[in-house]
Amino acid sequence: MALRSPIHELHKELGAGFTEFAGFEMPLQYKGLIAEHMAVRKGVGLFDVSHMSNVWVRGKDAEPLISKIMIADPKRFPVGKARYNAFCREDGTIIDDTIFLHMPEGFYVVPNAGMNEIAVEWFKKVRDENGFDAEIIDESRETVILAIQGPKAEATMQKVVEDLDLSTLKFFECSWAKVNGKRYVLSRTGYTGEDGFELHIKPMADAEKITRMILKAGEEFDLHCVGLGARDSLRLEKNLCLAGNEFEGGRSPVEAGINWTMDWEHDFVGKAAMLKQKEGNAYELLRPLLCTDKGIPRHGCEVYDGEELVGKVTSGGMSPCMKKGIALAYVKPGHREEGRALEIEVRGKRVPCAVIKGQFVKKSECAN
Amino acid sequence: MADSEVRKGYLYTKSHEWLKVDGKKAKLGITDHAQKLLTDVVFLELPDAGAVVGKGDEVGVVESVKSVSEIYTPISGKITAVNSELEDAPEKINESPYEEGWLVEIEMKDESELGELLDAAAYEKIL
Repeated sequence: MALRSPIHELHKELGAGFTEFAGFEMPLQYKGLIAEHMAVRKGVGLFDVSHMSNVWVRGKDAEPLISKIMIADPKRFPVGKARYNAFCREDGTIIDDTIFLHMPEGFYVVPNAGMNEIAVEWFKKVRDENGFDAEIIDESRETVILAIQGPKAEATMQKVVEDLDLSTLKFFECSWAKVNGKRYVLSRTGYTGEDGFELHIKPMADAEKITRMILKAGEEFDLHCVGLGARDSLRLEKNLCLAGNEFEGGRSPVEAGINWTMDWEHDFVGKAAMLKQKEGNAYELLRPLLCTDKGIPRHGCEVYDGEELVGKVTSGGMSPCMKKGIALAYVKPGHREEGRALEIEVRGKRVPCAVIKGQFVKKSECAN
Repeated sequence: MADSEVRKGYLYTKSHEWLKVDGKKAKLGITDHAQKLLTDVVFLELPDAGAVVGKGDEVGVVESVKSVSEIYTPISGKITAVNSELEDAPEKINESPYEEGWLVEIEMKDESELGELLDAAAYEKIL
């Protein structure tokens, strides 16, 4: 049976329909996907993302261990900073993408849903192989994670956070913050491409009360509860990878186009393989494709340049903001420069599309 | 999804289509449960009126932001009408799955095929 969030009953009360994702039964939507999507782009949305994982890496060698595991160099991110990045195998393929928060006690790593055991096992392996002195603590099943996202996220959260001026917590910073008299890990991070926060509530018994407080605080901003449906459309409009889709079958950060988060100066697992791949220049690269005619590309659709098969869609859908089909696809070299006209085969029909640069929906571009 | 509506007087398939029989004709749509699983419908493809369909044939495609679902007819016959209003207002499938969200109307060729469908009570059990 699928795992459930400790606030499952509250979701039911709020009208959620559920879906199974990575072994968890989580809200798919409440009032409707598009309304939830727009609430996050224009106001504020509340997500329960307790299916995500929480792993502490603490102790004397926590920083060298994180440096060895992660493609980002933790030296560049002192206490109070957070970083999106990934950890990879020796062959350069991504095990998972994640955010680490550099907290005063150590590094608080947030791997994806169902990845906690794999992450912990991998961290321990790297620690032991290098003789590092660090403890690795899995709190995934003891923590409720709430994401509060959207332009009104700060105004909403400032009403419940008691001891921190949130205007001083910048995007991708983290801190302890007091809510309802107790302190929890708070980061200004998210997976929607909007400003927002993620609150890590441990013990989980505190979560229902805090969730209700946030719901009340957000009322004046027409806060919507948001399910996994809109979570997916929100991240796709901002070209953010979904691990199960974009890294399926073994992809490196070079191929997935997330090497912007990589620091080449430090030594990390998989670096040699990635350098070699980068120099070879023959790799497939994840590119955003915007449909220029009717049709909605989906996971697994083939991408053509004339008659030549040049790629495959890993995530596709309709953009609620643009009302157009959008997709992320791995595309061969020579067919993926900005503006390149390609076609996606959607149920036997060719849908014209173009390679674009950057995010589908740029900042404050979601009109209507 | 415990809160999905199941209408009495309709017939159902295990794949979450409904039929509303009126004499020799039957309207076909997707159930409240199906529209909730799909999320907001944004695009659909329907057949042309006059098309002859066999039991189990695809008679449409309903696409939401999140996913795509083929619609199959559990009865054979001729398509006598399609709900063209949905082209401009596909959200009617979410808002009114049993009324305004109907997809096609079929003139039945063999009414005995209806015997294989579920009534409301039987459909409710599989949700």
